[in-house]
Amino acid sequence: MKRVDYFVTVIGVLLLGTGLYLVKTIESAQGILLTLPYVLVGVGCGVFGYGMSNIISKKAIAKDASLQKRLAVEQNDERNIAIANKAKAKAYDLMTYVFGMLMLTFALMNVDLTATLLLVAAYLFVHIYGIFYRVKYEKEM
Amino acid sequence: MKNRLEELRKARGIKQEELADAMEVSRQTIGSLENGRYNPSILLAFKLAKYFGMSIEDIFIYEEDSE
Repeated sequence: MKRVDYFVTVIGVLLLGTGLYLVKTIESAQGILLTLPYVLVGVGCGVFGYGMSNIISKKAIAKDASLQKRLAVEQNDERNIAIANKAKAKAYDLMTYVFGMLMLTFALMNVDLTATLLLVAAYLFVHIYGIFYRVKYEKEM
Repeated sequence: MKNRLEELRKARGIKQEELADAMEVSRQTIGSLENGRYNPSILLAFKLAKYFGMSIEDIFIYEEDSE
């Protein structure tokens, strides 16, 4: 896992570096190049932060066996897992209505059809994913 | 669901932290179990019963209208 963290951190730095380089060098940007450098900077910062925080937190607990055990217990604690799953289920239920309202608003605002259809596709994908897992668990449980 | 966890734990002079360590759960889980706010999984119920050397029915009290 340590290797993955270092790999992710390096990828973050590369994305960030590429983004900054493009911001500095491209003078008359058009089309996708208008936003791509800034997207790269944003994603690079996020990926770098994620990788770096993993490295630092793992280093911090590496020498403390009792802390490692306590963290493992907290992560695998059945009540914590139940709480996290319940919270996720609540958020998913809310998302159904929020996205539904958003799609309706987009349609009424005459927003570009591509954007509206992409949102509808994402909405349907998430719900089909939910149905897939419901069927899967019906068979397994 | 009501239970006798707190009574049994105190009778044996065990701290919540010690019971939590033995069950490999957090101290908050033991606290919630004792308050009756959280019902354990069947595996945790068996672990607790084994730890106290009793049956699950001796620790957890099932009431028909508690649901």
